Amino acid sequence: MSSTTPDARTHQHWLHDVRLVVHQVKYEQLAFWLNRVGAIFTVGFSVVFLVMLGLSAGNQLIPSLGNIRLVQYYVPGFIAYGVMAAGFTTLAITIVVRRETGLLKRLRLSPLPTWVLIASIFISTTIVALVQVLLLLVIGRFGYHVAFPSSWAALILAVLVGIVSFSAMGVAISSVVPNQETAGPVTSIVFFVLLFLAGLWFPLPPGSGLAKFSNYLPVRHLMTAMDRSFQIPRGVSPWAWHDLLVVALWGVGATLLSLRRFRWSPRRS
Amino acid sequence: MTLAISVENLSKSYGDLTAVDDISFDVERGEIFALLGPNGAGKTTTIEVLEGFLHRDGGAVEVLGVDPSDRQHLRWLRNRIGVVLQELAVESFFTVRQVLERNAGFYPNPRAIDEVIELVGLTEKGDAKVKRLSGGQQRRLDIGLGIVGNPEILFLDEPTTGLDPAARRTTWDLIRLLSSEGTTVLMSSHYMDEVEALAHRVAVLSRGEIAAQGSTASLGGRDKGETTIRFTLPANVVVGDLPITPSRIDGDVIELRTSNELTTLHRLISWALDGDVAIEGLSVARETLEDIYLALAQGDRDESEARSS
Repeated sequence: MSSTTPDARTHQHWLHDVRLVVHQVKYEQLAFWLNRVGAIFTVGFSVVFLVMLGLSAGNQLIPSLGNIRLVQYYVPGFIAYGVMAAGFTTLAITIVVRRETGLLKRLRLSPLPTWVLIASIFISTTIVALVQVLLLLVIGRFGYHVAFPSSWAALILAVLVGIVSFSAMGVAISSVVPNQETAGPVTSIVFFVLLFLAGLWFPLPPGSGLAKFSNYLPVRHLMTAMDRSFQIPRGVSPWAWHDLLVVALWGVGATLLSLRRFRWSPRRS
Repeated sequence: MTLAISVENLSKSYGDLTAVDDISFDVERGEIFALLGPNGAGKTTTIEVLEGFLHRDGGAVEVLGVDPSDRQHLRWLRNRIGVVLQELAVESFFTVRQVLERNAGFYPNPRAIDEVIELVGLTEKGDAKVKRLSGGQQRRLDIGLGIVGNPEILFLDEPTTGLDPAARRTTWDLIRLLSSEGTTVLMSSHYMDEVEALAHRVAVLSRGEIAAQGSTASLGGRDKGETTIRFTLPANVVVGDLPITPSRIDGDVIELRTSNELTTLHRLISWALDGDVAIEGLSVARETLEDIYLALAQGDRDESEARSS
């Protein structure tokens, strides 16, 4: 073994790397569900919110959205929430913890290629988001008579664009969070303020100042893209190209910031 | 190829701060080589350049015959090195076996998981969660992660910092065991006793430069017989009366450095017996690695005080 030189190296087959992705996804999933914090924050929160809000105010009608029931507004809204919580908050906290404990550096120094790590995190985040989307759809359908989306394809596209863009934003914010202690509070406060401004709990009155302001932010657009796949308001096209474009642009911006700011190693005192 | 690592005129700066300034050393296969120095001396920077984590500014570096900054060979190299960082980089919610199996999957020829668990002395703890382990056990698991890929070179960055004395000893035993199996070890430490106990050869780093290097036994020329003789100046005797010339006088303590301690002692004792003089507080000491290290560290401190005033 010790006599091998790089020139005599056997080229590692691409199939080997695909197996590495499967291997790493398995442990990313294990880490997510064993750690519980991310699972509670992502899947737990959205299910509890939907059930509680559905029970308390779900049958109020929303005139500005063609008199749909509030719970019909909440199902796509919390699907968007789950995608953002998995991609943004959970990923940001995970990265800061891994970076500050030296885990990222150790991964960097292992033979695991960086693209395998990124692909595994993306696939793992998608699995989490899909679990949560299915739970919400089932609870909405059988608990509150909320119809399944008009276009499954439009919903899946919105989920994927949301995961990629909000994951990029999660990586970006992780690069400006200094340490583990502040990771949870900082990302959660930013996240919940954004959700409130975007009208997750109370639909924004159209044309209001808040509605205009949140047009510049990605959260409202992702929620709209989810709404549209359910044809909310009634009669619209399920494909929200404009909204997905805005979400994607935020993702591109976040990626550019991450490329400049991302660190593998912990901050030394 | 007998060299595991070769470093020639390595330099690395962070902005205005020179972390490593023109250092050179070689590590032979199978040996334990230590970088010794206080915090900020450049130990971690040097190791990170050799691991291919940092790019150097100048000089030539080879690890297992390849340049670690050459991306083409990086994966080949990373299949063959193991690293243990200053931080305990282990997730607390996994079991010992889960973490090891996860990391083993990254390497083409990993060690058997049970073998690693036994080597690091965690046989009873294989299915325990990491958060249930003591600090020493977590560090041993951490070293287990460093060797799970069956590395030819193991980089240990301050492997026992923060451990209690018993955990330090078991960590030393583990490092010796790995070395006896043929693993090359490059370690950093700011503990004297650790380097004396483990390393075959050592380079003492001070503000980014190598202040001294050699075998642990020969460092600073102590195998060449520089011996320090000390005694208290007897009452009613002036320095001029002594049969020898002191190197240093500290109050009434006479200090004498010599490379020929037998002759010097003979002359001193004959003189005392002839004149019926009692010599008190006589000590003969070879300089230890610690004396050399402390002298270097003291030099650092004096200089930085001089600069800041």
